[in-house]
Amino acid sequence: MALVDVKGVSKRFGGLTAVSDVDLTVNAGEVHCLIGPNGAGKSTLFKLIVGLYPPTTGSIFFDTVDITAERPYARVQRGMSIKMQAPSVFKELPVRQNIQIALQERLSGAECRAEEERLLALLNLADDSGKLAGALSHGQQQWLEIGMALALQPQLLLLDEPTAGMSPEETYKTGELIKSFNAEGMTVLVVEHDMAFVRQVAQRVTVLHLGKIFARGSLEAILEDEKVAEIYLGKTHAH
Amino acid sequence: MFKLLDGPQTLGRGKIFWSCFLAVLAGALIYPLFADSYDVGNFAYFLIWIFMALGLCLMWGYGGMLSFGQTFFFGIAGYGYGVLAINMGGGTATIAALILSVVIAMIAAGILGYFMIWGGISGIFFGIVTLSATLVLAFFLGQTAGPEWHIGPARLNGFNGMKGMDPLTVGSFDIEGSALYYLMIALIVIVYVALRILVNSSVGNVIVATRENPQRAEMLGYDVRKYQLLTFVIGSGLAGLSGALYTSWGQFITPSSIGLPAAAMPIVWVAFSGRNDLTATLVGSFLLLFGFQTITVYSQQAALVLMGVLLLATVMLAPQGFVLGIGRLVVDWWSRRRRRDEAPALADAGRLQSDET
Amino acid sequence: MSAELFSLFYQFADVFAFLILSAAGLAIVFGMMGVINMAHGEFIMCGAYVTVGLVNLGVPLPIAQILATLTAGIIGMIVEYLIVRRFYKRPLDSLLATWGLSLIVTQSMLLIVGSAVRGIGTPEGSFAIGGYTFSTYRLVLFGCAVAVLAGLYIIFMKTRFGVIARATMQNAAMAKALGARTGRIYSISFGIGTALAGLCGALYAPTMTLIPTMGATFVVESFVTVVIGGANVLLGTAPAAVFLAMIRMALNAGYGQIIGQIGMLFAVILIIRVLPEGLSSVLVRRGR
Repeated sequence: MALVDVKGVSKRFGGLTAVSDVDLTVNAGEVHCLIGPNGAGKSTLFKLIVGLYPPTTGSIFFDTVDITAERPYARVQRGMSIKMQAPSVFKELPVRQNIQIALQERLSGAECRAEEERLLALLNLADDSGKLAGALSHGQQQWLEIGMALALQPQLLLLDEPTAGMSPEETYKTGELIKSFNAEGMTVLVVEHDMAFVRQVAQRVTVLHLGKIFARGSLEAILEDEKVAEIYLGKTHAH
Repeated sequence: MFKLLDGPQTLGRGKIFWSCFLAVLAGALIYPLFADSYDVGNFAYFLIWIFMALGLCLMWGYGGMLSFGQTFFFGIAGYGYGVLAINMGGGTATIAALILSVVIAMIAAGILGYFMIWGGISGIFFGIVTLSATLVLAFFLGQTAGPEWHIGPARLNGFNGMKGMDPLTVGSFDIEGSALYYLMIALIVIVYVALRILVNSSVGNVIVATRENPQRAEMLGYDVRKYQLLTFVIGSGLAGLSGALYTSWGQFITPSSIGLPAAAMPIVWVAFSGRNDLTATLVGSFLLLFGFQTITVYSQQAALVLMGVLLLATVMLAPQGFVLGIGRLVVDWWSRRRRRDEAPALADAGRLQSDET
Repeated sequence: MSAELFSLFYQFADVFAFLILSAAGLAIVFGMMGVINMAHGEFIMCGAYVTVGLVNLGVPLPIAQILATLTAGIIGMIVEYLIVRRFYKRPLDSLLATWGLSLIVTQSMLLIVGSAVRGIGTPEGSFAIGGYTFSTYRLVLFGCAVAVLAGLYIIFMKTRFGVIARATMQNAAMAKALGARTGRIYSISFGIGTALAGLCGALYAPTMTLIPTMGATFVVESFVTVVIGGANVLLGTAPAAVFLAMIRMALNAGYGQIIGQIGMLFAVILIIRVLPEGLSSVLVRRGR
């Protein structure tokens, strides 16, 4: 069943068409990777799905409801949650309070505190919970933001380059984390450049190129596709 | 409840802080027994303005909305109290006039805030739109000298201002002198404690989150506009409370308490004190009002020049505010000393943390 | 009939000139540096006082006005160097700092000069069309407003300074990397902004009573024009002034100055709800 259905969506900024007539279906329960060269329109598509930009044309459905005109917070309340490309946390607030703000709508009192501890431990931030979020390293801020996105327990988790600034080891751990949440039923849509990571997590892959869908299919099919290799994987593709 | 009083959003926590708080409060309560009634009246006069400062602190320091319109709402409620008190007659009705005039100011804030916040106005423009509204109100009231400008028997009276309303009265007892002073103390304690609870609550969490990063706050499912509007209405309502109390205290109000330079005063108090903390604002504003009043006796212009100098100096030397800066230094020094004296286990106590929290 | 038409134009021109002259300097500083100069009104006051002072010393009015404009520009560059320069990355703090300055200047003037200065009176001269009499000086003001817009167009679109200034406005870091001396550009732009404020004061000095707080008379108009005009002086401020002048003119004629001002404020508040990015964003987008 389709959890997200993007139908014929385009987005123009002045003279630039960032996303052009894109159809994208993300099925409930899958880990779906969105790949493509820089400037392919991946982050724009994310922002359209979550409602930060209104599309120029087309509609977006979430769980069969047309959400094209809804504000971002309403979409989040429906069960989606996003980690943006650039770390976006509450820099002048302590790490723990960042998590609390994400949790407080869902839980309160002792339950909230227990979940806070669990998430902080899961994200390796327990020791830094009193620090200001802005004082964390880039990688840790990414973790924190992922943690805040997870705290909402979304049906759909959107991750825009979750592993940027992480070591290979941390990247691997992030991948395992995503797989474990997927195993519990969370649908995940990821934009990623790191092909090792894509191979680790992806079940289905969509390739964007110059704002258009270039190819889509199972991970294996995309990896085999020579045209995809040409535009994107090219020289970095090595078995 | 006590958790919320001592939460993370406010500097000054734990037994020591609250002991100091109670000591100051006790001092304030017995003060009229020693001072002459003229001084008590003057003290009550400074306290009138504290609400306006606390409201701005909430909007600007916690909510990140720099409103230059505190005197706009001050004026609306101030004139509102006058009009209502004159029209409804004196006596206990003045209490209703006070409450209603604050409500009117809050409704005005709701309308203005709706247009600005839903229109996506923030940062600098928030300041200049609110200031424009303030100045226009002052100009408008300034030219209402003619007899055609009246609401019921209440004449607006242009630059000379509105007068002749009754002070706050219960039955036949006028709330003046020490009674007014005690009323002020009680209101300040209530407002201060309520604001502490608000900013440390989950609503307060969203208010500061919106200040830090409105987009992220929205991405956590919060309609940040509603929280901003709430903050703006509360902060402006407190300015209204100051305005209504001011009119009741002096039984007059003029447009000059709305326009420039009056509109700059709350900004100076809060910037100088430290906009990020309610306690710093409370203490700093009181000190500035006291100093200002002392100098005004000799020359109002000189006092205002000093306010300008303080504002400039704050921005250039201590953008977070002088009182807050000094407060942080004291707290750091204290906790360092405590850490040395007691146990290394307290190393992460950070600030004045009490034992039970 | 034509007399009535001219009368309408005259009223429009009067308000338009007031809006452009009071807002242009503020808009340039905001457009270039993102800074709202809260002491804008005090630079207007400075222009007015210098003009009146010089005229009282026997200097002819037009020369006094030019000298007053230059004085405000030079003082502006000094203020930029001493204060504003530190706050380009903190626009809200620059607002507060210039507000502090504004308080200091107005109140010091009240202390030193006192409240009233001998005025110089509006230059004589009027003409009649049909049954209406018009003041020549008001038309001169309109001519000056148009000349200011033309001058800004030439400076920013046709000169080397303008090219670099616009590049700095678009992307300061990039312009700097390409060798533009952004510090100097900012200093000159701020100087132009305050000089225009001085010009406004100089031009209106003969028409009003001089008091140290006179700046406040101008700031509301300049604020609202910049708020709905946005960051672009030519594409934003000018159309905003046309639009606001229409509203003002209609309301002034029917209900008087103060209702005109209130109406203008309401119009602005409605517009920001409908067009959050200001008029210039619409015009710029259409232009593409």
